Amino acid sequence: MRKSLRLRKYRVIYQSVLMENLQYAANIAMGFISFAIIIFVFIQLWNYIYSSPGELIAGYDKAQMIWYVMITETIWFGAPSHVVTRQVATDIRGGNIAYLIGKPYHYCLYCLARYTGGWSIQLPMFALLAAGLGMVLVGPLPRFRPLALLAAIPVVIAGITIDAVLRLCISMISFWIEDSAPFQWLYSKLLLVVGTLFPVEIFPEALQPLVKLTPVYTVCYGPAKLIVDFSTEKYLEILLAQALYLGAAWGLMLFLYGKGAKKLYVNGG
Amino acid sequence: MNVIESENLTKAFRVRQKEKGMRGSLRAILRPRIKEVQAVDGISFSVEAGEMLAFIGPNGAGKSTTIKMLTGILYPDGGRARVLDIDPTKQRRRLAYEIGTVFGQKEQLWTHLTPYDNFRFFGAIYDSPDRETESRIRELADTFELGPFLNTPVRSLSLGQRIRCEIVASLIHRPRVLFLDEPTIGLDPVVKENIRALIRQMNRELGTTIFLTSHDVGDIEKLCRRIIIVNSGRIVLDDSMEHLKNHYLDRKIVEAKLREEAPLPAAEGITLLKQKGGRVKFQVDTGKLRINDALHMIDAENLEDINISNVPLESIITEIYKAEGRVDGIS
Amino acid sequence: MSTAVKNQLRVCLLAVKYNIMREMLNKATFLTNIGFMVLNNAAFILQWMILFHIKEDIGGYTMREVMLLWGLAASTFGLSRILFARAFSLPDLIVSGKLDSYLVQPKNVLLSVITSATNTSAIGDLLYGLILLCVFCFSLKRLFLFLLFTVTGAVILAAFALLLGSLSFWFLRADAFAQHLMNSSISFSTYPDGIFHGAARFLLYQVLPVGMVIYRPVHVMVDFDMGSLARILAYTVLICALAAAVFYRGLRRYASSNLMEARM
Repeated sequence: MRKSLRLRKYRVIYQSVLMENLQYAANIAMGFISFAIIIFVFIQLWNYIYSSPGELIAGYDKAQMIWYVMITETIWFGAPSHVVTRQVATDIRGGNIAYLIGKPYHYCLYCLARYTGGWSIQLPMFALLAAGLGMVLVGPLPRFRPLALLAAIPVVIAGITIDAVLRLCISMISFWIEDSAPFQWLYSKLLLVVGTLFPVEIFPEALQPLVKLTPVYTVCYGPAKLIVDFSTEKYLEILLAQALYLGAAWGLMLFLYGKGAKKLYVNGG
Repeated sequence: MNVIESENLTKAFRVRQKEKGMRGSLRAILRPRIKEVQAVDGISFSVEAGEMLAFIGPNGAGKSTTIKMLTGILYPDGGRARVLDIDPTKQRRRLAYEIGTVFGQKEQLWTHLTPYDNFRFFGAIYDSPDRETESRIRELADTFELGPFLNTPVRSLSLGQRIRCEIVASLIHRPRVLFLDEPTIGLDPVVKENIRALIRQMNRELGTTIFLTSHDVGDIEKLCRRIIIVNSGRIVLDDSMEHLKNHYLDRKIVEAKLREEAPLPAAEGITLLKQKGGRVKFQVDTGKLRINDALHMIDAENLEDINISNVPLESIITEIYKAEGRVDGIS
Repeated sequence: MSTAVKNQLRVCLLAVKYNIMREMLNKATFLTNIGFMVLNNAAFILQWMILFHIKEDIGGYTMREVMLLWGLAASTFGLSRILFARAFSLPDLIVSGKLDSYLVQPKNVLLSVITSATNTSAIGDLLYGLILLCVFCFSLKRLFLFLLFTVTGAVILAAFALLLGSLSFWFLRADAFAQHLMNSSISFSTYPDGIFHGAARFLLYQVLPVGMVIYRPVHVMVDFDMGSLARILAYTVLICALAAAVFYRGLRRYASSNLMEARM
């Protein structure tokens, strides 16, 4: 009973962000422009690179390759990260954190609830748009199984959450240095260049195990691979990797936050 | 000569509205509700050279909107404004050389630079040669005692020092008219007094015409000889300070402390405001009853202490607002 | 040069100088921002190495040309954000009423506004572009053209941003629209134009400024053509005139700090 009461506040935070975001639905819809254009660029790019639709590159045919990129881009656009990056950095640098720490909730969970409120509107909207664009411009995904999509949903959610927790960890650096933004850029670029633009299989064999160790594997590759080309074996492997990653990232986040908050008390905010 | 002339100025703003709750949020996406708010609704007045004028009113009365139309920031919807015989909308830049502006809530200074560097920048903006700017800065720094912090970055200055610098920055180009929008907002009483002295000095020694909006009755009372009160975009009073006081100061507040509790004699012109034990507070309308006669009604033997005062200006202004149906705002 | 123009130029340069001084207050942050931006951009070299590994020519470009394209894009966007950063955040200034202090100055409002801030990481972009040029395809003539196109491109981008940003005078939501069109222009700028056909080409050359900012200049640098060069210069002048006209038209609707959303 008390436990459920304690968790209720995060639901309320989530709901109010949901409402706030609905107000900006028009802005989100405008985000479709950027999204559609990126998707369009990739379709053109792969159209040019594939000489024939049946050609296989790194084990993907053209339609699979484009759908793969569309899925990673959907996650990229559908989960806007400023709540766990810029917002947190501003809270910490601007001293706002001193007030938020005193509130009867855990600051990290508060951020995650707000973040979830943001993407749970935006992601479905972008997913629908991506599906529409894909059907019209590329055609249906070959060998697509609706059940795979259903099974992939928890993987997508876990992936987005891992991403948020990792970004929160980076934001926590703001406790110690003035500007954590450059580190966010680097992390973003890792996800974008290594994880979003192509599937992991495209990298040279020697590099692939290395890539699998990076967050790319659980955040971008996992969800997209499972939707495009589902196999139970991969599914279990990715779920396991996500559980390990989430646990480690969560621990790191709490550790950094605890250290940072303590420093705050010592320095008097 | 009239320095400022405003003829029937009007300005409306469109304000988007949102209803409560989830349903309201959804509805706002489909059909945003927009309300037109008439911020300034036919304001006419004129100001003579060398005048010090207070332009006051509650929040949202249209004070700032008027000042912004006079300085060329906003385009009026209707009516005509002329400052120093220049039309602010048509010859904004020409006007800018002649006027100075200080917006208490907005900073014009670069906070990472020292006041000195800032003044140099403003000198450049007003096309004054470096050497001339230098001597002007020295002159102003002397007059307004900026010496001790002339070379400290603005961000490390106190709010009062900062406002002083803001005002000086607006004087670099020797403006003939100075518009001050809430110059003392957020300052402590000592600094307020300081700024007021500065404004007075400017008006007296340089003959600068001062147009001031404020929430602070002290600013108005201590600085201005003329007062214009606006409410809901219209002028409700345009009068000299002296006249305003005489007109409304026909009432005195008497506070008496009596040794023993005694009933207040009932007479026309006396209104009881508060009575608690031996302490009594009442108002005397001197139009109906001479203050002498009123005092005679109190038993002098029983009197321990007495205090007679005017109705504070603040209450007078609140009363004028109230007569117009709006009260919030004045502090 | 008339004194008015000289005075205006003096104020603009002083503003840019003061802006950079402000950014340099914290030297460590200033340098890391620039350095990380260079690294950030360099990450995309990996993308192109992989793509060219799959296929030797993409849209008629080889690695060398793509790097030239990338370099020009980085430098152009960089310079534009160093000098005219505020052109890109104009909607915010309009909606929250921050144009007031520029309107009471006896200077050109437009120039005073757009030069009133700078972006540190953009210095990293500018440098990165020059580094790419030097590493992948240096020649003296190309360097000269590169610098010229960086300037014209920076001006065109600022004018385009100004044009879109000025829409905020009329529409409250124009900020997001402007933002996304700018982002889209950036996305296009880093891919060879040869992969786009039909409507997309029309969009790139006629609607978005990408053609005039990036593609045409790259073609001129690879294979010099006087006609193209003249066109780019003419376009620069035209879009500036258009942007200024729209901005001043919109300024009449400026509402200072009175544009707010009231809750019921």
